[in-house]
Amino acid sequence: MLAVDVTGDAVKAKNGSMVAYDGQMAFKKLSGGGEGIRGMVTRRLTGEQMTVMEVRGQGTCWFADRASEINLVQLQGDKLYVESSNLLATDAGLRTGTSFTGLRGATQGNGLFTTTVEGHGQAAITSDGPAVVLRVSPQYPLIVDPGAYIAHQGDVRQSFQSGVTFRTFMGEGGGEAFQIRFEGNGLVYVQPSERNTIAGDV
Amino acid sequence: MYGAPGGGPTVYDPMTLPVDDNVNSYTFCVELKGSQWFLQKGKMIAYYGSIDFNGVGHGRLDRLVRTSFHSPLHASDWVVAEGSGKMLLADRAFDVNSYDLDDGNLTIRSGNLLAFQPSLSLKQSIVPGFLTLIGTGKFVAASNGPVVFMEPPLRVDPQALVGWADCPSPCHHYDHGYMTGVMGGLRALTGLGGASGEEHQFEFVGAGTVLLQSTEILMAEQATGAVPHEPGVPGSGAGAGGHGGPGAQSGAPRLPGQLGDLQRRFGL
Repeated sequence: MLAVDVTGDAVKAKNGSMVAYDGQMAFKKLSGGGEGIRGMVTRRLTGEQMTVMEVRGQGTCWFADRASEINLVQLQGDKLYVESSNLLATDAGLRTGTSFTGLRGATQGNGLFTTTVEGHGQAAITSDGPAVVLRVSPQYPLIVDPGAYIAHQGDVRQSFQSGVTFRTFMGEGGGEAFQIRFEGNGLVYVQPSERNTIAGDV
Repeated sequence: MYGAPGGGPTVYDPMTLPVDDNVNSYTFCVELKGSQWFLQKGKMIAYYGSIDFNGVGHGRLDRLVRTSFHSPLHASDWVVAEGSGKMLLADRAFDVNSYDLDDGNLTIRSGNLLAFQPSLSLKQSIVPGFLTLIGTGKFVAASNGPVVFMEPPLRVDPQALVGWADCPSPCHHYDHGYMTGVMGGLRALTGLGGASGEEHQFEFVGAGTVLLQSTEILMAEQATGAVPHEPGVPGSGAGAGGHGGPGAQSGAPRLPGQLGDLQRRFGL
């Protein structure tokens, strides 16, 4: 559960994620994720739809989503890449957008696009179990299972790594046939649980 | 650099990750230094360094499998991780814990075991659906909620049982009313007239330890085929399959060309 103190300013949150509030609050649905017509069309096209509401007022508002774990991410001008289904709330000052993820998205079962959040402020992301934050640095690249990946921030390059060999097709695969490799400088958030992915079965 | 600005979440890198210990209640970190670990498929969530994952049937692992893997029914669920680096393990956001065995034995529900050191040897328990670890070494197991250790004699709910160590006598126990008369049977079958759902327990007596989880929600388990069809083997009457006869137990659990467990993979 996430408690947000609102003092006249606004918070953007996933539609329907408010569980309680005190004080005076106004909830307004933002069509198209509050990104205007262009954002709306982009999201519709990319399948990264998210219904977002704007919460404005005075008091405290509590958000929660399916009893999943909530992780706060502090952004200082950098960019956070997160799946729209994992994004719970952002400060109104943060800009959201979509970006192409390539083959990685396909292996996660989450589509080829992902949501970006940038600016200064805090964002709340959900995960199944508390997320582990792992640092990626030039001397230590990180390899992540697509099903456990939830978000990353910073200047990180990702590449897709496949271990599919003839053994995979004979039922003797290593069980970790698809992996994402992160290189550069930044942080990667992984959850202690795996989504169902195509990759999980081979 | 991206740090944790005052009070943010802990950020781990290969230096600060613990060695063979829990990162948090749900994530476990294993350090590999050219060594090997057996791992249940798909439980690795991330790693640093260079680590290879190979199926248990991989030819190069033949010797390792011969000494520490005696469970052909579960062969398609296990892989061997080798290389050097640090690897994070987790399972459906369940609690994970590591246990040390010192020349001991421990039997555990097959779905709960995540990983073990090859210094232990893994065998199928006589009790279907359970695996036994024998030897000295470390293993990692998951449970839905924290694990509670209990001393026998005791009776436990079948759904809450995770495993047991050193107990010679796991057996079924049925309450008396469950078995007497037609009405007792009907009650148990239909629930009409009030069945408490607790008429059947597992009973343990003797010296040892019993491991329980604190919910009765079981981990989803995969069907693991059937034990060799032989007289005297419990559970062997059920279902077809089980082509891993006694002869196939050591070495390669499955010959190449048999298409592995394709049927199971496609849910047939």
